[in-house]
Amino acid sequence: MKLFNQTSKRLSTQPLYTNRRRRKLNMGETIGLAWSSLLANKLRSILTMLGIIIGIAAVIAMVTIGRGAQAQTERQLKSLGSNLLFVQSGVALTGSPASQGAGSATTLTWEDAQAIASTCTSVSATAPVLNVRAQVVRSELNTNTFIVGTTPEFVQVRDFLPLTGRFFNQADVEQVARVAVLGQTVVGNLGLTADNAVGQTIRIQGEEFFIIGTMEYKGSSQFRDQDDQVMIPITTIASRIVGVNSLQGISVNNISVSAKSPEEMDAAQFQITNLLRLRHQIVPPRSDDFIVRNQADLVSASNAVSRIFTALLGGSAAISLVVGGIGIMNIMFVSVSERTREIGIRRAIGARSSDILWQFLIESIVLSLSGGVLGIILGVTTSSLINLALGWQIGVALDSILISLSVCLGIGIFFGAYPARKAARLTPIAALRSD
Amino acid sequence: MIQLKEIVKTYRLGEVSVPVLRGIDLIIDRGEYTAIMGASGSGKSTLMNIIGCLERPTSGGYWLNGQDITQLSDDELADIRNYQIGFVFQQFNLLPRLNALENVMLPMVYAGYSKIERQQRAEEVLVQVGLSDRMTNRPSQLSGGQQQRVAIARALVNHPELLLADEPTGALDTKTSHEVMDLITTLNQQGITALIVTHELDIARQTRRIIQLQDGLIQQSDTSFNHDLGTRTK
Ligand SMILES: Nc1ncnc2c1ncn2[C@@H]1O[C@H](COP(=O)(O)OP(=O)(O)OP(=O)(O)O)[C@@H](O)[C@H]1O
Ligand SMILES: [Mg+2]
Repeated sequence: MKLFNQTSKRLSTQPLYTNRRRRKLNMGETIGLAWSSLLANKLRSILTMLGIIIGIAAVIAMVTIGRGAQAQTERQLKSLGSNLLFVQSGVALTGSPASQGAGSATTLTWEDAQAIASTCTSVSATAPVLNVRAQVVRSELNTNTFIVGTTPEFVQVRDFLPLTGRFFNQADVEQVARVAVLGQTVVGNLGLTADNAVGQTIRIQGEEFFIIGTMEYKGSSQFRDQDDQVMIPITTIASRIVGVNSLQGISVNNISVSAKSPEEMDAAQFQITNLLRLRHQIVPPRSDDFIVRNQADLVSASNAVSRIFTALLGGSAAISLVVGGIGIMNIMFVSVSERTREIGIRRAIGARSSDILWQFLIESIVLSLSGGVLGIILGVTTSSLINLALGWQIGVALDSILISLSVCLGIGIFFGAYPARKAARLTPIAALRSD
Repeated sequence: MIQLKEIVKTYRLGEVSVPVLRGIDLIIDRGEYTAIMGASGSGKSTLMNIIGCLERPTSGGYWLNGQDITQLSDDELADIRNYQIGFVFQQFNLLPRLNALENVMLPMVYAGYSKIERQQRAEEVLVQVGLSDRMTNRPSQLSGGQQQRVAIARALVNHPELLLADEPTGALDTKTSHEVMDLITTLNQQGITALIVTHELDIARQTRRIIQLQDGLIQQSDTSFNHDLGTRTK
């Protein structure tokens, strides 16, 4: 009795707290409760999160790589020159801008290029290109490269300027001059530098050429390494290197066209198509023997590749997230049956079934979101490494992080709902009886 | 305070129905101190669970403080368990991951008290049950008697008017059994209505009224014997 004597006075006093209507459970505390129960099973929680971690990391990496590839493509296309259109020889296969036939037959001529430049009002300049792969020799060094026969407009149309020396001019073309302008890769391969190349001589298919200039660095595009080519006058390549003079004049592989402005690209394309149909006497049912492609076509062709890549990554991310979600559902079921007695105790002392529902739902959401945060960390790290390796400057977009977090929230709710409902539906006495 | 009228509880095991309570009529007044006795399987726990709003009767009427319990929703029953009734179990039923203080605070969490209010009140009750120096111990770091006192503190924390204890001393040795019973007796003396289930006549004799249950029916409701509470504990 001694034990209670000292406290009996207190017990008899009026209660400090009267029975009151219950309030809603504090969300912060429920989250804290979920945390502590996840921390109580650290390894299990981490393993459960793995699917989410990998899935989210893949999403972040996917978005970063996708954007990087797109930016890269756009940069490369821009380097080809602004407002650029390509006219290529060949028969267009239906709906396929990248048809195999393009450029294989030579139906275009230099005269076509001149006609386009003089007739089409939306065109500012054209540069015909007749090219061939050939061996270029300087003393004991040689390199296999592209010989591009063109006109002085090439500089303007391709937005490609000489670095040292000069590009050939109209007089060089008229005189069928044996002059060459070298890309920097060729300069290097022939043991020269941009500064000492001008004035040297090289041999192309046995013909001697005088180097009058070198081109600025352009970098490689997925179309061609633009530094690995040698530019010579179109008349020279036609008469000395290739020699495919058709009845209409000098045949060319393609014609680069620059439209007057980006807005006039479509008009230019229309005018060129009409003009060439006229010149080539194409009337139905004959189909066009040329293809006019704009940059958008090229962008979409190259984007298709990165889109497939993105879709693959996205697919594996989605599978990983679903598997992760199922893992969470599974572990939540385990958690509910492990803690059935706890549920019974909580119900017995006054928890409503909705309190139990929230407890387990929040736990599942916390589990999923924690996985998401770890996945974001992993994804950002991976993306930074990819950026570093490929020399891209693509930051991880904030929206991809926000999307990831909302996806995790969704997964936590979706896959946690059923186990939580199971927990909430237990009757107090059934839950208490379990062991 | 408690009014039971023809309470019937029948469990259904597949095709067969097992009648456990077969028509219980019982009135318990405010401040009473009552023991329920009876053979194993006679339905004592079932009756306690119904009175404690953990289960619903199959049929019959139950009024607690004049309120018709059978008409209440599950959430309302949860609220009644939360602050009108304190339930003490034979197996203590403390949450193993929480310490004594946190276990005692738990009913207040569901009542919506703030953290400070909870802490203050839980400490107060733990002092009342004589555990002022064991507040941060987990159940595994407490003896059986101490665990049961934590459970009693938890039952008291929301100021219930009714204390239900289903074999509160069933898992304890004789000495700690008496300590726990002394605590319940003291609480009853201070005004709480107490109802306990026990197998031991020695324990039951500390109450003022003994109800004998047999095969789901009240056999005897005995208040004639004389309890001399003072003499034994002196
Ligand atoms: N959920 C249930 N389903 C079926 N039968 C049950 C259920 N709960 C209890 N019973 C049966 O009801 C009867 C009474 O059980 P109860 O637990 O009330 O007895 P008790 O008097 O408390 O026994 P003890 O003294 O052993 O604790 C027993 O025969 C038991 O098998
Ligand atoms: Mg029992």
